[in-house]
Order: sequence, then C-alpha cells, then structure tokens
Amino acid sequence: MAITESDVRHVAMLARLALSDDQVRTLTAELSAVLGHIDELQRLDLEGVEPTAHPLAMTDRMRADVVVPGLSRAEALKNAPETDGTAFIVPAITGAGEES
Amino acid sequence: MPKDRLTEVLERYEAVIGLEIHTEITASNTKMFCGCPVAFGGEPNTRVCPVCLGLPGALPVPNEAAIEWTVLAGLATECDIALWSQFHRKQYFYPDMPKDYQISQYDLPFCSGGFVDVEVDGDGVGERLDLGGALPFVGPEAVAEDGGYRTRIGITRIHLEEDTGKMVHVGGSEGRIAGATHSLVDFNRAGTPLMELVTEPDIRTPEEARRFAQKLRAIWLALGVSDCNMEEGSMRVDANVSVRLRGSAELGVKSEVKNMNSFKSLHDAIAYEIVRHAEVLDSGGVVVQETRHWDAGAKRTSGLRSKEEAHDYRYFPEPDMVPFTFDPARVAELADRLPELPDARRDRYMADYGLPKRDASLLADDRETGCYFEEAVGLVGDTDARQIANWMLGDLAALLNAEGIAIGQARVTAAMLAELVGLVEDGTISGKQAKEVFAEAARTGDAPGAIVEDRGMRQVSDAGAIEAVVQGVLDAHPDEVATYRGGKTGLLGFFVGQVMREMRGQGNPAVVNEVVRRLLG
Repeated sequence: MAITESDVRHVAMLARLALSDDQVRTLTAELSAVLGHIDELQRLDLEGVEPTAHPLAMTDRMRADVVVPGLSRAEALKNAPETDGTAFIVPAITGAGEES
Repeated sequence: MPKDRLTEVLERYEAVIGLEIHTEITASNTKMFCGCPVAFGGEPNTRVCPVCLGLPGALPVPNEAAIEWTVLAGLATECDIALWSQFHRKQYFYPDMPKDYQISQYDLPFCSGGFVDVEVDGDGVGERLDLGGALPFVGPEAVAEDGGYRTRIGITRIHLEEDTGKMVHVGGSEGRIAGATHSLVDFNRAGTPLMELVTEPDIRTPEEARRFAQKLRAIWLALGVSDCNMEEGSMRVDANVSVRLRGSAELGVKSEVKNMNSFKSLHDAIAYEIVRHAEVLDSGGVVVQETRHWDAGAKRTSGLRSKEEAHDYRYFPEPDMVPFTFDPARVAELADRLPELPDARRDRYMADYGLPKRDASLLADDRETGCYFEEAVGLVGDTDARQIANWMLGDLAALLNAEGIAIGQARVTAAMLAELVGLVEDGTISGKQAKEVFAEAARTGDAPGAIVEDRGMRQVSDAGAIEAVVQGVLDAHPDEVATYRGGKTGLLGFFVGQVMREMRGQGNPAVVNEVVRRLLG
C-alpha cells in the first residue's frame, strides 16, 4: 500500500513533528517501502495462527499493591523548564479539549 | 428549564443516551503502574516518581490489585471477564499527561457485555412516554405497582487505564482555560487506576441516566472499589446524547456532555441537550458532533470551541507490558469475593424487617449507611428495625445533611441510636423526650442513657405516681371536670396537657391518658 504526502503530513501533525517539504518527500518514499514489506507479510496464509501479542512469550507480570518511595518534589521539578516551586508551569493551552 | 418543555420535546423525539463513567480505584494503595500512593489532594507533586512523571526509560509495572478490582467490578455488573487481555497506548498530547500517551485498553478490555437493571419511580417516570418501546424490560413486573418501571441498561465494556494529572489555569477568570496566561500541573493524580465503563445507548430519559449512575455508584460502594466522590472527581460521568423523531430507526448526530459533578447535574445537562437538539432540528438546522461543557450555575451547556478534528489516537499494544490471562477458576474465585450487592441488600431489608421499598433502598444503596443500620438493629433486635430506620432517615439524615458529614463521622453512633431506641421501647422515655436526647447526643456525643440520667428525664410510668398528679389536677379544675362529665369529652386533652405540665413532660403518655380517662369516668 503506497502512502501519499498528505498521509505523511497528517501523521506528522498528530505526532507534533515539523517536517520540511524535502523531509516529507523522503519519508513518503521510505514509509511506502516499509508498508510494502508489511503488504508482503499480509499475503502469508496465517489461518489458525494466534496473533503475537508480545515478542516475549510470557504473561501476567504484575506487582503487589505496596507503596514504595518516589521522588521528592524538589527532585521531581528539578529538570522542568519552569516551575513555581510546587507545580510544573506550562504555557497557556489552546486547541483540543481535555481528555481522560 | 421547565419540565413540561422536556416532556413536550419527548412527545415528538426519542432521546438516545449512552454514558461513559470513569471511576478511580481509590481502594488501591498505589497507582496503576508504579508504587506511588493513591490519595486525594495534598501538596502538589508530592506523590510522584519517574514512572508517573513519564520520565525517559521509566517502565510501568501493573498493579495486580487494581486489575482484580476491575474484574470484581465487571462481575458485579454481569460482565464477561476476558480470559486474555492487554493494555494499549492511546496517543494524544495534553500537558496533564506527561508521556504523551495514556496507557489504556483497546480491543481487549478486562470486562465486556454486562448490564445493570435500573428502576425508575416517582417524578421521573413521566419522562418515559412509551413504556411499550423497544427496550427489553425485565419480566412482566416491568411496570411496577407504584407506576414505576424497570429497564435493563447494557454495559459495553469496562476497561482499566491511568488517570491524568490535574491542571490549574492561571490568569483567566475563575480558573478557566479561556484567557489564561499559563497553567500549573500537579501529577499527584497521574497514574491513579481508573476504570472506564461504557454503556450501550440503551438510556432513553435523563432520569434513567441519573438512576443508572446512582445504581452504579451504589454497586461500586458495596464493592468498596472507590469512594465515588463526584465533587472530588473520583467518579466522573459523561453523556452521549442524540435525538431522533419518534418512529425513526436512524440515529441522530450526538453531542458529548462533560463536567457534571452531581447526579442532578447529570440529569439536567442531558435534559438541556435533548431540548437543544430538538430546537436545532425544529428550526431546520443540523446538530454538530462536538464535546460540550455543562455549566451548573448557568444551567446550560456550551461548546468547547476547539477545532473538532476527528480523533486519531493510533492505539497500539503497549510493548512495555505482557498480556494478562484469567482462567475460569480464577474468575470463580474472585466471584466468591463479591459482597452482597445493593439490590439484594434492599430486598433483604424489605423481607426481614418489613421496611417499605423506598426506605430499604435508601439504607441499602450506601454501604456505610447499611452497615450502620445493621449494627444498630443487631444491638436492639429485629423488631425495632423500623424504629432504627425511621431515626436514620429522619433526625439522623437531617443532622448529616446540616453538618455535611458522612454517617461514619456522626457523633451519634449506631450503638448510641440502638440505646436510644431501647430507652423508648422499654418505656424509660417518651418519643418526644427521645428527640431531645437525640439532639443532645448529636451535640455532645454523650450516651443517651447518661443524658437521660443527667437531665432527670426518666419517663414516669408508675400508675400510682401518675394517679396522684391526675387527682391533683382534677381537684384544681372542678368546673372543667363537671363539663367533661356533662358530655364534653373533648376536654380530655386539656386534662392530659395539665398533667404532663405538672410532670414536666415526663409522664408516660399512654399511662397518663389511661389514668385521666379512668379517674374522670
């Protein structure tokens, strides 16, 4: 399946990547090659084969519900570009609504 | 909005409503994927670690207890439990979500295909105009004797995900995004285990939506999975609303309403949307698919004015975690852990104690309230269960409301209420005195027995002592006695009143009545 330059721009927008026109052209060709490979895989007859959910053949790795010490607030905020000493400061939000 | 406006709209349009309910698993000690504690509020950014801050290289490890709670929630709502499930990444950008993706579930949630039966009675019944409609009602008792009805709301799925952080917008008015210069982010809540329940679009009226949410809250409280505090946001209900002309099979365009932090808001926001959609359609317009915010003060919804691009979350399997399996034996083991659920508890209160349905529901729908009731009844005996219920739904409920506290914080404990009811039942004090004792106990936390002693409130039931007082009253009012004996028996109350006054309210009313009658007769 070939992808178009507009597909690439859309995906770049979703990932908040700023691409030059040159990069869009290069990536369109490269991603088309990747998808071509996937196309080849899709032609395999996989009737009756379970999808691989994870490369590791294991399940059910969990932890007990026990509190362990985290970071102090000073440590947590240390690398933030801007804080008020208690919280991370981020620029005013425009655009898409809140999710949860 | 006037109620008849909604009814008028519903006569022509059918509303189709589905709910999305997020519930924080506050029963969990730790967050979903790290060992930071789960709590509400506190100093910002004091319950954080590299995992819930989304720092590079940090790896999530799932909390087994949170997964078990989710499975229990599914079992309590008749869901199928997935024997194979996994987490996915949901990609979007928002500052309260530091990884720029949320670990959630996609096509393999832990629970799916359940239902909750909802009973509607009282005023809300009027919103449902076509009981013979397409919904599968449960059994022939669908339309109950009190005019109420029962309807089954399907549950599409319950999946588990991580909650986001919290933001405070600074510089705008009233903490709103509009006009804000910047925002403060607190990640204490980030990573809290969050169950998302999605219903089928089976709901037809605002009242059904409210009843469903209340019922679900009661079930969650019975399980103990969450404190379900809508104001603090540990339970959040969003509604998808659309309308279509009656008789039409085609679904209308829906809007999603958020920001309802009470059951009343949920009802009113949905009612508002139904009428708004109808008005748009009536005027020849087109309903826009969008997310809208409920403003409880203004009693209206408004669009978020965001560009409504189609969401493209690009889900893919979370590579940092391996899948989960449940075998039927393990599911059965968890099912054994289910406590008595609200409907069963209500039915038991009705059968064992003869409580009316409404009272039984009020006591059974809140786990703490039910425990208080059963503790008190256990102390005073089954025969006084109705008295206990009356006190709880009367004076105690009024007290809790006035003080804005939960029943567990009431100064009048279950043991004290049992003692008080016992004092009335054995004739030590009258019902009227009991009200005074209750008020005093609520104020001071003193035991009812001690209050009765201190105030010398003991009710006098001794017929001999009462006779002496009655004789005195009759001697002091010879004219009234003559009038009474002449046939004006309505004066009985006058004599009883005089006797009670003499006795400073401590005479046993039944005995006083009997003695007055006898000595006059």
